[in-house]
Amino acid sequence: MRFRCSILLVLLLVTAAAHAQFFPYPIQKRTLGNGLDVIVIETPEFKDVLSFNTMILAGSGRENEKGRTGLAHLFEHIVFRHKHDTPEAYDPNIEKLGAFNNAYTWYDITYYHPLTFTSNLDRLAQLEASRFRELTYSERVFRTEAGAVYGEYRRSASDPGLRIEEILGDLMYGPAHGYGHSTIGYLDDVKDMPNAYKSAQAFYDAYYRPNNAIVIVAGDVKAEQVFATVEKSFGSWKPKKTPAQPDPKPFNGPKKQHETWPSDIPPRVVVAYMIPPYTPGTAESAVIDVMADLMGGETAPLYRKLRYEDQVASELFVDQGSARGFDARPLGAYVTVAKDKYDAQGRPLLDRIDSDVATAFEGLSSFSSQPGSARRLESIQSQLRYDILAGLNSPANIAQAFADFYRFSRDPQAMENVAQAIANLKPADVDAFAKKYFTPKNRVSVTLTPQGGAK
Amino acid sequence: MKRLFLLLLIVGCATAPAPAPAPAPEVQTAPPPPPAYAPGEPKVVTLDSKAPLINIRVMITHGSTSDPAGKEGLANLTSDAITDGGFRSGDAIVTKEQLAEMTMPWGSGARPTVFTTARATTFFFTAPREVIGQYITDVLRPTITQPVFEAKEIDRLKNEAMSHITSLRTEDLETLGLSAIDQYVLAGTSYEHAVVGTETSIPAMTRDDVVRFYRDYYRPENAIVGISTSDAAIVAQVRDAVRAMNADAKTPPPAVAVSKPESFTGRHAVVIEEPNAPAASVHLGFPIGVNRKDADFWPLYVANVWLGTHRDGFGQLYQKIREERGYNYGDYSYIEHWSGRPFSLFQTFNQPREQQYFSIWIRPVKHEHAVHLMKAATYELEQMIRNGLTAEQVEGAKKKARVLYLNLAETVPRLVGARVDDAFFGAQSGFLDAYLANIDRVTPEQVNAAIRRHLSTANIKYLVVTSTPHVQNTVAQIRSNGPVWGKTWQEYEFTQAKLADGTPVWQIPEAKMPAVQLDAAWAYYPLDVQDVKIGNVKDLFAVGKLLR
Repeated sequence: MRFRCSILLVLLLVTAAAHAQFFPYPIQKRTLGNGLDVIVIETPEFKDVLSFNTMILAGSGRENEKGRTGLAHLFEHIVFRHKHDTPEAYDPNIEKLGAFNNAYTWYDITYYHPLTFTSNLDRLAQLEASRFRELTYSERVFRTEAGAVYGEYRRSASDPGLRIEEILGDLMYGPAHGYGHSTIGYLDDVKDMPNAYKSAQAFYDAYYRPNNAIVIVAGDVKAEQVFATVEKSFGSWKPKKTPAQPDPKPFNGPKKQHETWPSDIPPRVVVAYMIPPYTPGTAESAVIDVMADLMGGETAPLYRKLRYEDQVASELFVDQGSARGFDARPLGAYVTVAKDKYDAQGRPLLDRIDSDVATAFEGLSSFSSQPGSARRLESIQSQLRYDILAGLNSPANIAQAFADFYRFSRDPQAMENVAQAIANLKPADVDAFAKKYFTPKNRVSVTLTPQGGAK
Repeated sequence: MKRLFLLLLIVGCATAPAPAPAPAPEVQTAPPPPPAYAPGEPKVVTLDSKAPLINIRVMITHGSTSDPAGKEGLANLTSDAITDGGFRSGDAIVTKEQLAEMTMPWGSGARPTVFTTARATTFFFTAPREVIGQYITDVLRPTITQPVFEAKEIDRLKNEAMSHITSLRTEDLETLGLSAIDQYVLAGTSYEHAVVGTETSIPAMTRDDVVRFYRDYYRPENAIVGISTSDAAIVAQVRDAVRAMNADAKTPPPAVAVSKPESFTGRHAVVIEEPNAPAASVHLGFPIGVNRKDADFWPLYVANVWLGTHRDGFGQLYQKIREERGYNYGDYSYIEHWSGRPFSLFQTFNQPREQQYFSIWIRPVKHEHAVHLMKAATYELEQMIRNGLTAEQVEGAKKKARVLYLNLAETVPRLVGARVDDAFFGAQSGFLDAYLANIDRVTPEQVNAAIRRHLSTANIKYLVVTSTPHVQNTVAQIRSNGPVWGKTWQEYEFTQAKLADGTPVWQIPEAKMPAVQLDAAWAYYPLDVQDVKIGNVKDLFAVGKLLR
């Protein structure tokens, strides 16, 4: 009897867990007449904190004009200079208010995320709305910011990671598509940015529209008050239909590229696959979500082989390319090769690593028949669940985590759907994904070695 | 304590049956033996968070400044060998691979990680509340008390440390400069070498060295524990685990003196040749005698917010160099060392130091602009020292400082981390707990007095990283002590005109005049550098000093 009771209890707990909300905060949504989605997440335990975020659903992936890459990111800078040198200038007014204020640009989004005290809600909403609604700046300031972006490029250019990103984008999408270049843009385009004033204006006009944006407010706030405030300040922002993103040309792999690097760095080997656009709540996207741990985590056979057994990699990670990345992108393993092993073995070592990585990815087509696969997948599913929960640790992080998934379908249940899809994942789903996408036809390999070769 | 009691009892038993002694003759007796060593207690700080995951960190108050000479990097290797070298569990050994599998279902934070810095080594453990008891028993406790230091893992970690040095030298210009200025300013102290070690010391380290370091320094009295819950059972369980570190030690842990920086007068410069650096990185610094424990810390903190808040547009340096002139991506100043830059936007915790230095960091600029901006940074610092801050400027900086609090205190792990640091410094009030009150109390008089007491442009060390073709010119410009402009006249986009006698001149519009005047003040500011050394990037991280 006692035994039976505990079984019953376990079953009840499991059932309860299956139906419990994953995201611990209620989501409240209102869509304004101009198409702007407003999301409020009340988190009263973070006393007096206001996280006020605006996501523009466009980033460098929409830069399809030749010679004009990097404009989305440049625009992120310009938006901070709204009405400069006037009493309504954005930046000094924010300073007066007192807010931490920053933004970032990526392939499909530009995210503005000031953080301040709740008592500043009205004023902050006015300042934010003004810069998105009626951005004003001079050509002189445009040129100054273009110079700062060039500085940012120089800062990143000493990292071979940027070059690899450029090559991957180029090989997979080609230079004509917005995904074919890195977010910061090509060096020549960045240098020429001071002359891109008109193209930049056109970018703003096309994409900074309420129907192409989401406002997410989290913190010690009351939803109704936020809705009223945002309506008042953002309500007159004029909508406009945004241009459709052209489909990339079908990819035809496998493709390979080798690159040399001027300084004596440890070589890199990257093997990546073209994967489908992220769609929260689907089994395919849940496979994408677990891939970083399945292939690049410390328990992954590939990771152990290259890092620990052969000790030919000093670093290995798998970029899962899920929600925060762009909608369709390479998913793959990034390997930093141990310099001493490369110096001793030279190019054949890189070819071997390339082949090991490809074999591991393509071998996932029989993942379900590999011993212990179900148990490993369960561990990863549990890990991912706790990792997402652990990340919900401040109003800003809560807002961002939610927006990352919400933006795809604009469904307030997006995060629940993602959690559910991850929980429901079975080894056979990994097989199916690998059979479809981890194939030579979808594969790109990039190697990067120091100019002088192995020593 | 328990062991001491037992020892007294045995002594008592042994002496009890002895017959009553005859009256002792008047002789000189030997001094009583020193009391047997009893380990001290760890310091424990807690928070009362209800979050679903519990965050625990164990700080050992030793880091790279405790590395023996010739074994630079030993603190780092030891801590890595603790998280990666396996531990004993009953009769079995749990390898890092098994540990990864075991902890995976509890989230990524459950796999122990470590952060080794100059003065402290901190281990991080995070697990869901519902399994925390099991986690402490099965993971946290054996990690810190039963490490086995597998030899093959130590070899692998040594190789990785060597690769790390290669990466430092060749990949990220900013991290390289930030690491080098730290070594340069604190030359002559145990802070001078990089935490990872050097290319001569890393191969020289053995497993025995690692075991000795662990035995010497991983002791309860050297530990500070931070826990995100105040649940008594959990706290007791963690405290017990930490008490069990080297519980059989017979002698107290060695004391390590942290030496003072070698005194230097005047201005000095090092130009590092990084053959293919795409841009130049400019740094300056000098030691200061202020840390979080001192009364002057908060006034100086406010002054620094005004001059150069990290990764923020508020500071003067940023405003003038980047915002108004577009020379680079950002320009900041610091009163505390802080690794994690350039990437972290805010001070990260658990890297406390008693010995700090003031520094300015000019993010990558065109090679040709490096010397001009060395001058600009020094000039702006000197102006702040000479003129002090107005009440209005102090108020503005205090406002910015209050806003910074929103990020500094943003998450539970940050709050726990800050409390651990508070215990390290033995500060009267917590850095974050009393942050807002401390900022509110700062007066303009205190700010200006603290600036005068601790900042000066008399003694400065400069460090520039630049590419091979620009080294000689940079050195020549510094040595010449003459004017060095940043932008060219063409870049100012002035119109050209001719005087009556036909001499060509630039016409400067009135609106641009103040900016040009400041540019001229920077250009003509004398650097007065006494000596300039040139080093190749390969000379960095080679031996226990800045340059080979």
